[in-house]
Parts: sequence; C-alpha cells; structure tokens
Amino acid sequence: MSITDQLLAALSQYGLPMLFGVTAIAAVGVPLPISLMLVAAGSFVELGEMKLWQVIVVAGAAAVLGDQVGYALGRWGGQRLLARVKRRKDGAAKITQAQRFAQRWGGAGIFFSRWLVTPLGPWLNLTSGIAAYPWSRFLCWDVLGELLWVIAYVMLGKFFSDRIQALVEVLGNLGWVIVGLIATVILSQQLLRYLRPRKVSSEKKLSTA
Amino acid sequence: MKRFGRTQWLIVIALVLVVALTGLFAVRTFRRAVYWSLHRDETIRPWMSVPYVAHSYRVPPHALYEALGIPHPPHDRRPIRELAHEQNRPAEELIAILEKAIAHEREIQPNPSPIPPNPGRSP
Repeated sequence: MSITDQLLAALSQYGLPMLFGVTAIAAVGVPLPISLMLVAAGSFVELGEMKLWQVIVVAGAAAVLGDQVGYALGRWGGQRLLARVKRRKDGAAKITQAQRFAQRWGGAGIFFSRWLVTPLGPWLNLTSGIAAYPWSRFLCWDVLGELLWVIAYVMLGKFFSDRIQALVEVLGNLGWVIVGLIATVILSQQLLRYLRPRKVSSEKKLSTA
Repeated sequence: MKRFGRTQWLIVIALVLVVALTGLFAVRTFRRAVYWSLHRDETIRPWMSVPYVAHSYRVPPHALYEALGIPHPPHDRRPIRELAHEQNRPAEELIAILEKAIAHEREIQPNPSPIPPNPGRSP
C-alpha cells in the first residue's frame, strides 16, 4: 500500500488523534496528502463514524499549531540567516524592504495560502517568521484561513462522501490551475510594468534631481 | 515601445510555459470531473472500511459482511487491510469477494435507492 493508503487506513481506524497528527505535521511543511485526509474525514462524518464539530476543531487546531511551529522556526531559526544577509552590502536595506512588504501584504498572503494556494502555506509561515511579521496578526489571519480551509474540504468530503478519491483527484488538478493563474497574473504584471513605466516614479525622479 | 532585454525575454518564456501548464491542468480537471460524473464507482482499495464501500456502491452493508463471513458490528472503522490481517488472507482476496457481492446485489436490485449512511447512528 502507498503512504496515502496507509494514512487513510489509519485515519479510518484511529480517527481524530490520527487526523490531528497528520494535519499538524503537514502544516509544518512535510508533504502529506492532507486534502485527501480532510475530504476522507468529511466522508466519515457522513457515515456517522466521526462528528462534524470534532473534525473541524481538531483539524483546525492541528493546522494552526503546525503553522505556529513553522513561524517560530522562521522567527528564531531564521535569525542566523538574517545576520549573514545583513553583513552583505545593502543587506540591511533589503531586509527592511522585505519586512515592509510583509507588513503590507503579509495578511492577505497568509490568509489566501491557508485555503486557496495551499502549497505555499508552509513557506509563508517561515517567511512571515523571518520577516518578523507581528505574531498576533499572523495568528489571526492563520486561524481565519485554516478554519475556512478545514470547513470547505470537510464539507466537500461530506457532500461527495461516496467518491472521495475522485474528488481529491479533481481538487488536486484544480489547485494547480489556481497556482498557474496566479503565476500568470504576476508575470503579466511584470511585463506590463516594464512596457508602461508609472508616471509617478518619473515625476519623482525629476523632483529629486 | 521598449525593446526587450534578457530579463523580459525570460519572463515571456516563463509566461508561455505557465500558461501552457495551466491550460493542461485545466483540461485535465475538466476531463476528470466529466469522467467521474459519468462513472460513479470508486475502485475498492485496502484503506476503505466495509461501511464506506457499501456507501460508495449503494449496497446494504450487511450484504457485504455476509459475503465476507463476519458479523456486522454497529460502528466498524476497520479498513479492509485490517480485516484481511485478522482473517489471515490477502486484502486483494477480500476486495474480490466484495466486488462479487456488489455485482450480485446489483443483479437483485438494479436501481438501488440511496441508502441512509448509518441507520444505527447515535444522535
């Protein structure tokens, strides 16, 4: 049996403790088929083997806990890396720039990477920690996003409870379509910015000259 | 219009690749969704429990338990793998028995009505 089948068998047999463990480990960044586990849990809810609120609370808490571990690793483990970058020429300025970017866009990034662009989740935990994004705000966006993710996947599993393998296959492909669309928008913006430089920046240059 | 430098050409190449891959995944998603909406049955795998198989194939669970020669417990979470281990038989053998029992059940009742997930479930 594959790892996926082993995990699903264990989820069926041991229920919530298994769901907690796998969700937390996956949130730290270990590549485990967590979407399939959540969808399967939704199906087990429909079968009467698990309770809906328990699945949502356990999976949500595990995901948030795993994310905090990732954030802490970035915040404290990333300091050595930061110190090395700071020693370089312009290093300190670049870090300040990255931190400003995280302050401005961090919330949206954290929120959307919880449920829409999930492959980026563990990376954003680390980078939010490294950029010293305020922990209270990180936690707030994290809880909102993870709850949305858990509820969406569990309800999908509950609704399509008789064919969860098929559902996960479709969702897996759809996930890459979303990542691809986001990448297309970002790359197109880069090209457009080059072709049509903003007037404001040229005016600024003139006024500073 | 500005001329493209090396960076811009790299962005163009990346954009073409990303659009092509996104299109490929979009087509795959659509084809899979259409396929699964027409073919309802899931392949039986060792991780599945007997109640899940019964639910997925819309057959009464007791018919599957009967075919396996084991009693029907109220909340059975054991995967087929576990049942096979208990009976000292390969999981594939149990899956073959289940497939046969499902085919037999469908012959008796060609258009089964949806079975309530777990009639014995506590509130």
